[in-house]
Amino acid sequence: MHTEKQHHTFEPKIAAFVCTWCTYAGADLAGTSRMQYPSNVRVVKFPCTGRIDPVFILRAFQKGADGVLISGCHPGDCHYMAGNFHARRRFAAFRALLDFVGVDLNRIQFSWVSAAEGGKWVEVVTELTERVRGMGPMKEFRELDMEEHWSAQVNTPELQAAYNAIP
Amino acid sequence: MNQTAQKTDSAPLVDETYYAAVTEAIRAEAARLLVDGSVAAVIGYVAGRRAGTALPAVVTTPERAAELIFSPACRNNLSLYLTKAKQDAVPKGKLAIVVKGCDLRALAGLLGESQVKRENLHIIGIACAGVFAANVDQGLPLNAATIAKKCRECTVRLPAEVDFTAGTLPTLPRLSPVEAEELARLEALTPAERWAFWKELFSRCIRCLACRQVCPFCFCAQCLCDRNRPQTVENSVRPAGNLSWHIVRAMHLAGRCAGCAECERVCPMDIPLNLLNRKMAKELKELYDYEAGLTPQEKGPLTSFKEDDDESFIK
Repeated sequence: MHTEKQHHTFEPKIAAFVCTWCTYAGADLAGTSRMQYPSNVRVVKFPCTGRIDPVFILRAFQKGADGVLISGCHPGDCHYMAGNFHARRRFAAFRALLDFVGVDLNRIQFSWVSAAEGGKWVEVVTELTERVRGMGPMKEFRELDMEEHWSAQVNTPELQAAYNAIP
Repeated sequence: MNQTAQKTDSAPLVDETYYAAVTEAIRAEAARLLVDGSVAAVIGYVAGRRAGTALPAVVTTPERAAELIFSPACRNNLSLYLTKAKQDAVPKGKLAIVVKGCDLRALAGLLGESQVKRENLHIIGIACAGVFAANVDQGLPLNAATIAKKCRECTVRLPAEVDFTAGTLPTLPRLSPVEAEELARLEALTPAERWAFWKELFSRCIRCLACRQVCPFCFCAQCLCDRNRPQTVENSVRPAGNLSWHIVRAMHLAGRCAGCAECERVCPMDIPLNLLNRKMAKELKELYDYEAGLTPQEKGPLTSFKEDDDESFIK
């Protein structure tokens, strides 16, 4: 069952936002069934996919995630009746917005994983991890985070002269 | 640009009599309403101190009704003053409001979101020929060079379902849809190119939040972006936080914004914010066949759902 551990030069960080009723239980099932999946994924538990604000995805990227996974109950199975239906629309819109701003959508995965689908959880996590590994680190957000405000050129001759004049 | 193009660009789109007629109609209607006491105030425009400019004003007496005007400088979306955020600016009771077609769409959104009651409003619609873009010489007449981008492709020149329409619409020449072309150009770029485009623009942002202050839909008592425990959007002025702010802003307006483009007009750093709003509106139209602001609707596309919504992007 234990495959030999492969060594990679780049280990992506994947943030997974999951709903407690389905996907969290599904991931739990994968664990109790002793299935192997990449340890790159960090699971954050939410009451429902409807609770996942798009801003969490942004925040994850800004704080160093290379990929984000959002997963919840299949349509119709929501513990709160309609949370995942709302989430579906919200993320369809948010995806379009991210794409328009220039974020590569291959770094974001949405999925429905039920409490019984431990195998699907493993499959989704593995696929996303390998895809993001192939894409390399999420440079864009990290570079942006390093940048300070004045992107405009401030090294005018006058400023340079003033700087040089400082005793 | 060649000589002939410049000549056609600077030709006035409408003549002065149109503005005089609209102004006259607004004044007469406002005076009538204030005299018979059916409204507590009229929210409209008055002339600014510099020639050719205009200011929003709350007129409460019939005498001041004669100060009301309509000119291409009347750019403000006055429906802003009906929101809770601006409740101290206007008197209580029934209000009359002067709206252009685009403002009416925002007003329809506010009605749908139960921010204002229709029975507390007397809507004075304007048959609008268009208004100035930001940063143009307001001494010039309205022409193809000075007209706002949103007015170039306006579909709501004649506001529908208002209590009173001021003026009659003159015939207007067709103008090229500059904004739609820009949107199409951006959509055709690669994600990396779009990222570079927006990164440059968002880095300019000084987070004055004028876009938030001027937006009729930004009426939350506490903005998510002002909260710091937990902090979701970095509030220091840095490219990282600026990107979050503009994405969150666009997301919160998705399905609500009807494109009055006030955010873009007030932006001191000239960030084309309406492109983001247009893009979201376009996506929601394609996905859920929803268009904001046509009629007051209680549920927007992101607050309702259908069981068979598209989920091709979900594994």
